[in-house]
Amino acid sequence: MDGAHVASEVVHTAAEVAHVTASPLPLLLVLVPLLGAALVYPLGRRWPKVRDAWVVVIAALTLLGATGLIPLIAEHHRVESVVHMLIGTLSFSVDSFSMLFAVFTSFIWLASTLYSLDYLKHEQKHDRYHTTSLVVLAAMLGVVLAGDLITLYLCFEALGLVAFLFVIHTETDDAKKASIKYFWMTVVGGFALIGGIFLTYALGGTGAIGPLPTGHGDELIRWAAAIMLILGFGVKAGMVPVHVWLPDAHPVAPSPASALLSGVMIKAGAYGIFRVVTGIFRPEVAETIEESLWHFSEQLGLAVLWIGIATMAIGVFLALQQSNAKRMLAYHSVSQMGFILAGIGAAGYLGAHGAMGVAGGLFHVVNHALFKACLFLGVGAVYFRTRSLDMYHLGGLWKKMPLTFLFTLIAAMGITGVPLLNGFVSKCLIHHAIVEAWEYHHLASLGIAEKIYVVTCGGTAASFIKLIGLVFLGKPKVEYGPEVKDAPKRMLVAMAALSVAIITLGLRPQILLRGVFQPGLHTWGLHGDILDDYLAHYFLSPADLMSVVVAFALGFTFFFVGMRFGLFHLHGPKWLSIDWWYRQIAHGLIAFCVATDSAYEAVRGAASRLLRRTLSEYGGLVIRMGRQQRLLVATLLTGAPGARDQHFIQHAYVTLERERQDAVRRAVAQAIEKLRPRVGETATVDEAAYLDAVRDIAGYMSQRLMTERMGVLSDLTRTGDLQAARAPFEAVRSELTRVYRPIAETAIANAPRRMRGESVTREVASAVNAILSNERFDLLIASAIPQSRQALGQVLEIGASVRHGLPPRSAIQAARAGGLSALERAAAWSVEMLAIVVDALTREGTGRLLDRPIDETTVLGTRLGIQRYARDIGLNVTVLLVLLLAFIGALALR
Amino acid sequence: METEATRSFLPLAAFLLPLAGAVLTVPLRRISARVRDITLLALTALCASVAVWLAAHVAGGAVYEAYLLQLTPDIWMYMRVDALGALFGATVAVLWMLALVYSWGYMAEGHRLGRYYSFFMLSLAWTMGVAYSGNLLTFLIFYELFSILTYPLVVHEQTPEAMAAGTKYIIYILVGGSLVLLAIVLTYFAAGDQTLRTGGILSADIGQQSLFAIFWCYIAGFGVKAALVPLHGWVPDAHPAAPAPFSAVLSGVMVAAGSFGIMRVLFQVFGVELLREMGVMSMVTILAGFTVLFAAVLAVNQDNLKRRLAYSTISQMAYVVLGVSLLGSDSTIGAIIHVTNHAFMKGGLFLCAGLFIRRLGVHRVSQLDGAAKRMPVTAAGFAIAALGMIGTPPLSGFVSKWYLGLGMLETGNPLLLVVLLGGALLAAIYLLPIVYRMYFREPVLTADDKVTTEGREAPASMLVPLVIVTLLTIALGLGASLPGMPVSLARMAAETFFH
Repeated sequence: MDGAHVASEVVHTAAEVAHVTASPLPLLLVLVPLLGAALVYPLGRRWPKVRDAWVVVIAALTLLGATGLIPLIAEHHRVESVVHMLIGTLSFSVDSFSMLFAVFTSFIWLASTLYSLDYLKHEQKHDRYHTTSLVVLAAMLGVVLAGDLITLYLCFEALGLVAFLFVIHTETDDAKKASIKYFWMTVVGGFALIGGIFLTYALGGTGAIGPLPTGHGDELIRWAAAIMLILGFGVKAGMVPVHVWLPDAHPVAPSPASALLSGVMIKAGAYGIFRVVTGIFRPEVAETIEESLWHFSEQLGLAVLWIGIATMAIGVFLALQQSNAKRMLAYHSVSQMGFILAGIGAAGYLGAHGAMGVAGGLFHVVNHALFKACLFLGVGAVYFRTRSLDMYHLGGLWKKMPLTFLFTLIAAMGITGVPLLNGFVSKCLIHHAIVEAWEYHHLASLGIAEKIYVVTCGGTAASFIKLIGLVFLGKPKVEYGPEVKDAPKRMLVAMAALSVAIITLGLRPQILLRGVFQPGLHTWGLHGDILDDYLAHYFLSPADLMSVVVAFALGFTFFFVGMRFGLFHLHGPKWLSIDWWYRQIAHGLIAFCVATDSAYEAVRGAASRLLRRTLSEYGGLVIRMGRQQRLLVATLLTGAPGARDQHFIQHAYVTLERERQDAVRRAVAQAIEKLRPRVGETATVDEAAYLDAVRDIAGYMSQRLMTERMGVLSDLTRTGDLQAARAPFEAVRSELTRVYRPIAETAIANAPRRMRGESVTREVASAVNAILSNERFDLLIASAIPQSRQALGQVLEIGASVRHGLPPRSAIQAARAGGLSALERAAAWSVEMLAIVVDALTREGTGRLLDRPIDETTVLGTRLGIQRYARDIGLNVTVLLVLLLAFIGALALR
Repeated sequence: METEATRSFLPLAAFLLPLAGAVLTVPLRRISARVRDITLLALTALCASVAVWLAAHVAGGAVYEAYLLQLTPDIWMYMRVDALGALFGATVAVLWMLALVYSWGYMAEGHRLGRYYSFFMLSLAWTMGVAYSGNLLTFLIFYELFSILTYPLVVHEQTPEAMAAGTKYIIYILVGGSLVLLAIVLTYFAAGDQTLRTGGILSADIGQQSLFAIFWCYIAGFGVKAALVPLHGWVPDAHPAAPAPFSAVLSGVMVAAGSFGIMRVLFQVFGVELLREMGVMSMVTILAGFTVLFAAVLAVNQDNLKRRLAYSTISQMAYVVLGVSLLGSDSTIGAIIHVTNHAFMKGGLFLCAGLFIRRLGVHRVSQLDGAAKRMPVTAAGFAIAALGMIGTPPLSGFVSKWYLGLGMLETGNPLLLVVLLGGALLAAIYLLPIVYRMYFREPVLTADDKVTTEGREAPASMLVPLVIVTLLTIALGLGASLPGMPVSLARMAAETFFH
């Protein structure tokens, strides 16, 4: 900050201090509605009537307080109150412009509140509506009275977020959709705003709503700050291209809320842009006006001016396409905000000479608030009675609702700029400002802007001719019932109050021009003489009147051409609408989040799967290696592994054992059957002995059969053909049951003799031999074994017989060496035992015996296992012994 | 400019009271559950009042110290209450007390309450120790104790998910803890046993390489607990698995303990000037900025409410590290108060999540439609905390974000505002639709949803803590500039760090 600048600031603040006075009034203006809101619920729950009176009283008190600012400002120019809260302090500071906003805000609020009492009969949740209304009033007043950017931001956010409840109030599907769009745009706007506020700090700001120090911070940040601030406020103001929420949100709210949303709340945005353009980015006015310092604010003003022109043109074009009356009014809010922005932009562009722009823009703020609120209330009254908002389905209502018609007409004339009504004044002021701007540097583009302005005025005229003509004039398109009559009194009073204000300001514009704008401009150090000039020479001058005539001529042309050729029902492709693009961006953002999350989860999942798989593969590898190692050791010690044979033998044993038991059981069962017809159910001692005899004989026979069969299989083990016998064994199992019959017969036949104590061995043995020779189990099994092997077997048999013919080798050895030594025998025994243990270890599945459910097979298997173990346990003893010996040896060697 | 410290038994008391509670939990249960509950509450309340008293007096300019235990003739376990520790300690104790009261209702039908309550009190004791540690060794001991001994609380439900989350937690925490241990050992090797003090205890003499090694060990070690992005894996799993009152403190202060450690180390082991000389902080800034946005982006797609909140915690805690990494005094103030503000806001959100689980049987965001009609107070608490989290004025979240933003400009990084506002926008995207669902959607119940239709508002013992944290969120925002509030303590701390 250079010294010269500091000096100029000191001079200025010294000049300002003289004007400032402290007063609690601004703070009270915010607190009263807020505290009033706290009582709405308790009152509304018990006494709805008292609540209604209460909200009106609070709104009236607020209006009273706001008018109380007028004399204070007239005397002191600036009123401040400060409260220690949040970050440091929240301050409220009122100058003429703030006061203007506060007064018209509370005035329209009172009218709308009065109107809402009757209107809400069709709606639910009155308490919520009124609470929202008062809180939003407080926030709105907070915005316009705020003395610093933090307070402004706080109130602005509160305004935006709480007004959400207005938009969604009816909770219809449309309202929900509109409210969501509204909400997100408000949130994003809020972030843009706070970002802009942050950046003003980077430019040397202190949070005050006043000129930033010049020459501090670079140009880029300055532009970024300006754009973010204007976007942040512009979202609320319905500025193109961030207006898309407005035409959805305003119509779906209840009509009094629409009036507030469109009439007052969007002015918070306008107020913000006004302060940004003419306050924050305006250089401090010093003794002399140095042109170079104004360069930035000029550029910014030009940008805002063009945004305003675009907003007004696009808004009016879209308004003409609507058939829903409230939606059309909402688009006109966009368009009218364009007028205001154009005025403010011109003020910024003209810099020190921008009085006309300031006056035009702000005058139009007030005017638009009045007539747009009145229009929404009028259309709301029509809806209240007819339950219809479609302009093409109404008509001829002027007879049924004459007073409503009158007030709506006044407002419509106001908005189209009919002389002697308020819109005329502000539109002319803005027009003058644009012309002045064009004359300032003779930018050709501003000449075009002026033409667009005139055409837009024509469009405005056309659409209000359409509104009045289609809704109130002409012939009714439907039969109206008896309930269609003028609105209730309180609603009419509200509209009347607004109409009176419209006319008053139209007839006496000097109230604002001299009473507010000139003193306000004066506190900035600017001159407002040009406004006197306007009042003296241009107000109601023929040139201005001509421009109105031109506008109306254009308006009628548009209207008739549009109606004749159906131009009011055009719809562009969806990619042309900004709304569509925002939706794409929003969906894109969500899709991006989802995709990022999916990608992240996929990567995380893949990584952990990879880790887990590596781990399990490693584990598997270890197990496999262990198995291979054991196999290797077994092979080294015992030759080829016999595990599979072992398993099969075991299986065969179990199968044959079951066959054996079945055979015995069958024989006993047959014996019982034979006994049954002779005796009753209880067995005598004799009979029991008889059955025992049958069991004995059958047991002996089947045991021999089993031994023979096992013998066949064991023999195959020796020749190494056991695996080949596996399939035939399974195949012949059914054949084995053929022996049941002969066994049973033999047993029953011989039982009596056995009972008598005689020997039946010969008979039984011959029977078994007969069965065996019939069965030829070895052939059954051997049939599957390849013939070549059989031939080989025969050759080997021959070889064996030859070998048997020779004296045994051991005999030779014994003859030679006198037998093995005891040590050799022990070694041989140990090796044999070792072979057994290796076999035991490599056997598969023994450890899992108990996992299976216990059935007969299991029991048999276990029995076999125990037998084997009993045989093998010797090995364990051996191993222990060897270890012990090794240990002792080791000890001894030491 | 170290203030002369006053000997006081209060720091010790703040640590010993909950420890006594932990010991007494099981014997008191023998008498009755009620006696146990009341005694524990009395002890925690006492601890909280001691912590708040200390904070108030530290804000008035005092510094307290206490000697705990002599480990070797040279090394003491030593406690020292300065502005940073006092604020953290008060936050911890108050939030813990509220979570304890909430536990009565939440754990009413729970199992193994003895284990739960005693470890709950133990964790409080260790965390108070962390807050008041006066030298690195003490810090290390308490930090490791509380990291490891909270494992039983993480796995308390003993469901398979909880056990898996617990395993993950313990692995992450042990690795992080080992890095911290390594860093502290290196620090001792380089600088010897010294009290933590402004301006740092390390000097540039030990060489650039060693300094970098120590620095990154600290950042990685504490980064695990503070959930900086590549190290955050345990957070989204541990939170949904743990019981809600513990999730609240887990998110509110335990993750913050990592950030607290980073602050201690950066400002009191390295010192601002040394860090500036080393020029490594920009990398931490990038890491933290990335964490803010990345975790917030992930949060948007989480359907499990507690998981979404857990990602939110990662994102919000990264703000703290981001603020610290800028080495500006405003951003440090923002970081310090964000720890406190976030603790109460996120604590509130988790308490609400627990209420939805207990009263409506709802775990998922998509089941919350129309919840506000059944549980108006809870829904209001959730809405306020959510708005605070986004940074809506006048709630406390705004204050911290404001200082963070000013800090970014102060240190000449206006581009970081994109991170600040982008994180806030994403917070709006992942939190506000929940609020919308609760208030404006009609409940849709399908047959296989295990959502009870007639859920009602929770009992007072669960609502009171929620109401208190909500009020704190509002009060810490509205009254931020009053003396004795977190901002004033943070300002004191920042002033000492930056002279």
